[in-house]
Amino acid sequence: MEAFVSLANGLSVAIQPMNLLFALIGVLLGTAVGVLPGIGPALTVALLLPITFKLDPAGSIIMFAGIYYGGMYGGSTTAILINTPGESASMATALEGNKMAKAGRGGPALATAAIGSFVAGTIATLGLTFLAPYLVDIAVSFGPEDYFALMCVAFVTVSATFGDSPVRGLTSLAIGLLLGLIGIDILSGQSRLSFGVPELYDNIEVTTLAVGLFAVGEALYVASRRHVHEEKLEAVRGSLWMTKEDWKRSWKPWLRGTAFGFPIGALPAGGAEIPTFLSYSTEKRLTKYPDEFGKGAIEGVAGPEAANNAAAAGTLVPLLTLGLPTSATAAMMLAGFQQYGLNPGPLLFADQPNLVWGLIASLFIANAMLLVLNLPLVGLWVKLLAIPQPWLYAGILVFATMGTIAANPSPVELIMLTIFGVLGFLMRRFDFPIAPVVVGLILGPIAESQLRRALSISLGDPMVLMQSPISATLLVIAAIALILPFFLKGLSRFKAVED
Amino acid sequence: MSTSPRRRVDVAGLAIALILLVLAGIVWWDMTKLQILSPYDLGPKVMPIVVSGGLVLLAIGNAIGALRGDLPARDSLDWTPIVLILGGLAALIILIAVGGGFMIGTALLFATTSTAFGRRAFVTDFIIGAVIAVFVYVLFAKLLTLSLPAGPLERLF
Amino acid sequence: MSQFRKGLWRSAIAAAAVAGFVTSAAAQMELKIMAPAAPGGGWDQTARSMQQALTQSGTAKSVQVTNVPGAGGSIGIAQLVNNSKGDGNQLMVMGYVMVGALLTNNSPVTLAQTTPIARLTTEYEAIVVPANSPIKDAKDLAAAIKADPAKVTWAGGSAGGVDHIAAALFAKAAGADPTKINYIPFSGGGEALAAILGGKVTAGISGYGEFESQVKAGKLRLIGLTSAKKTANVDVPSIKEQGIDLEIANWRAVVAPPGISADQKKALTEVVDKLAKSKEWQEILKAKGWEDAYISGDAFAKILADEQTRTKEVLTAVGLVKS
Repeated sequence: MEAFVSLANGLSVAIQPMNLLFALIGVLLGTAVGVLPGIGPALTVALLLPITFKLDPAGSIIMFAGIYYGGMYGGSTTAILINTPGESASMATALEGNKMAKAGRGGPALATAAIGSFVAGTIATLGLTFLAPYLVDIAVSFGPEDYFALMCVAFVTVSATFGDSPVRGLTSLAIGLLLGLIGIDILSGQSRLSFGVPELYDNIEVTTLAVGLFAVGEALYVASRRHVHEEKLEAVRGSLWMTKEDWKRSWKPWLRGTAFGFPIGALPAGGAEIPTFLSYSTEKRLTKYPDEFGKGAIEGVAGPEAANNAAAAGTLVPLLTLGLPTSATAAMMLAGFQQYGLNPGPLLFADQPNLVWGLIASLFIANAMLLVLNLPLVGLWVKLLAIPQPWLYAGILVFATMGTIAANPSPVELIMLTIFGVLGFLMRRFDFPIAPVVVGLILGPIAESQLRRALSISLGDPMVLMQSPISATLLVIAAIALILPFFLKGLSRFKAVED
Repeated sequence: MSTSPRRRVDVAGLAIALILLVLAGIVWWDMTKLQILSPYDLGPKVMPIVVSGGLVLLAIGNAIGALRGDLPARDSLDWTPIVLILGGLAALIILIAVGGGFMIGTALLFATTSTAFGRRAFVTDFIIGAVIAVFVYVLFAKLLTLSLPAGPLERLF
Repeated sequence: MSQFRKGLWRSAIAAAAVAGFVTSAAAQMELKIMAPAAPGGGWDQTARSMQQALTQSGTAKSVQVTNVPGAGGSIGIAQLVNNSKGDGNQLMVMGYVMVGALLTNNSPVTLAQTTPIARLTTEYEAIVVPANSPIKDAKDLAAAIKADPAKVTWAGGSAGGVDHIAAALFAKAAGADPTKINYIPFSGGGEALAAILGGKVTAGISGYGEFESQVKAGKLRLIGLTSAKKTANVDVPSIKEQGIDLEIANWRAVVAPPGISADQKKALTEVVDKLAKSKEWQEILKAKGWEDAYISGDAFAKILADEQTRTKEVLTAVGLVKS
């Protein structure tokens, strides 16, 4: 009840005209930077800090919240329309979303992404309002062994992105794991597979890999086949809006995506990528239309998008309750708080209730604002697909390279982008799935370092993995998820024999 | 539109298997140079060993697939657009490396890519690319004070 | 349509920013400051804060910040030494972390090749334990490490960084073998803090700013700071005052390229001297919670040289640098 009163107070802060304006500027700026790969909300907030120094604290923190949510929307718009995930968390969206866009269903894809984000963002913000104090205790008790077990669950479920051939899927995953080895090993400080090139010490940037494989690789592939296979893009086929059928197929994935995104986002080392993969895999398993997956299934957009936004709200749980910045953007928001002499942490809710509840309320407002802004724009966005193909792909390449240089103005980064583009081209040509490469790059290093941390703490005793109840439960889930498909297959065969 | 009837042995598939084997070797070789520093840490070598071993197994798997010839059919390749696009990217990289700035490079990349997709208006497209580059420069360099690679053109702003 | 409006809005802001640049043209120097890190990090914030204070106070005519991220500053310093030789308008922000990073990365370029200008700020390392830990002070911690270094797990930043070095120095000062410490590097400040709060590790070590709010809220117990004497912002005596001979600080400084003339060096030092004294800089220090540690000229050059020697010793002892 107390939370309700505080939230109402917060809303009264957030709907002051000036703060609404800050929220609007935030979501517009966030959307703009979100569409550029390499430039994310974190960088934008960092660069705006000196400018907002003179502004009122509530206003500028509300603006940062708008940038945060806006970035999520922008990232998925480009993922759907031009197969260029603006952020690593939008990668799962690109898988089905871009296929939908190419089939003339960009409108429903964007709509389910926007509405799903809104639904997930709203539920997750409610979760932040009411559950934060309880959730944070669980989040903090998550140890390295538990993260490792979570990664095991993730590894088992990503097989959903493998496509038809397990050998080719695993090959892609192994390439991702190999790329994940490149750079300085965080636990020992030694560089691996860097061959003395200092630019490689900082590990491969996920967005550089994703953009290279998806955008550059696809441009090369489509261009190389133009003489035999003219790609025809229809901007709109069927309804521009979501049909009744689309709604029916979307609402459950939204809720399931939220259920993945919010708690994992609240974990200090959870991140937004893992819940999007988990959501994608779950939707692929549960769907009534398995044939559509890989060709543009709406569930594959609705789920990951919801997970992505819910995770963003989840990140604010440890930030506001403990002062724990668990993502780059959260770290910049922390810097924003500190600039005004506010110390996020256990005392922030007590010391600065107006500000905290104003921020939470403005999350609701930013979310609603993004929905209102984005839905009418769907029609405009899909027109992008009507741009003549040469300009469209030229524009995609310019976007991809610009985002990369803006974040890191070094030719080496661009060389990597080009190499990943060629890799993406070859993988398409020889029918290797692309997504597992990125999945391997993200999951591999986390799984490795968390296992090593767990074993360092336990002085090498592997039983630590079974002693933690969270870890033991997750490992059992992973084992079931691994065995169940074989068992079900056997069962259906058995049944077939019976019949 | 597969040009030749499916061969029994897919040479490209065998080449992929060979590449995977070479990668496994590189990962292994790199691993041997690492040291275990902390007495409690599992060490940086375990993951490379796992990856290297996995790559060897997958190389065998891919080789078997290639020998059976069960790789999907491929279209014939048109190399011209690939060379054009990669050329545009290479030009951008070289221009940035030698301090020519990113504007010219970006405009060039835009024009070569649109040529690769069949347009025959190099100069027009070059100008369009340049306009986009200027817009982005103003946005990043002036509003967000990011340092983009500068060359003679950028210094005019 | 809205795209267009956004564009207009942006160019308006951009124009305003440019205008602001021109009107503050009071002093002579057109400085370039390189932050050898990506935008947003500590070195970048230092560079951009310098830019803000220098232009607002009119100490410099213009200041341009560039970012050259990568490998703990190894890429930035290589560019400074190779491409900016003799450039009297160029500065580079650096810090203690770079000393270690250059050593562990086997960088071909060293800090000895740069021209030291001045140290600007400092942050002391803090050692904390969970609030319910039986360890009450530095003596308890030292005793625990001496008894069995394996059982004392440390959470901190990346291997070979300032946190790791400080933990190794603590063990050494406590009379234990620094190569036997059970130091567990975490990737971000938040992740290490979560591990400490969750009681997964014995102790945590990082800049005090990371822990301050948790210590004030009573969730973590501060064992002490690595300063020489107790600082005003904490209630606990420094680790050195508790009898463990450990003093280390994560400082930030500026250096200039090699090969600049004595006059150029003097001019740069004067500008930075003025910056350090300016009202604008002092305000920024206060807002960001940075401790002023200004030392310029030969005194700073000596500190830089000493830190390199000491860091090399520690990193060689823990095996990160081959002797």
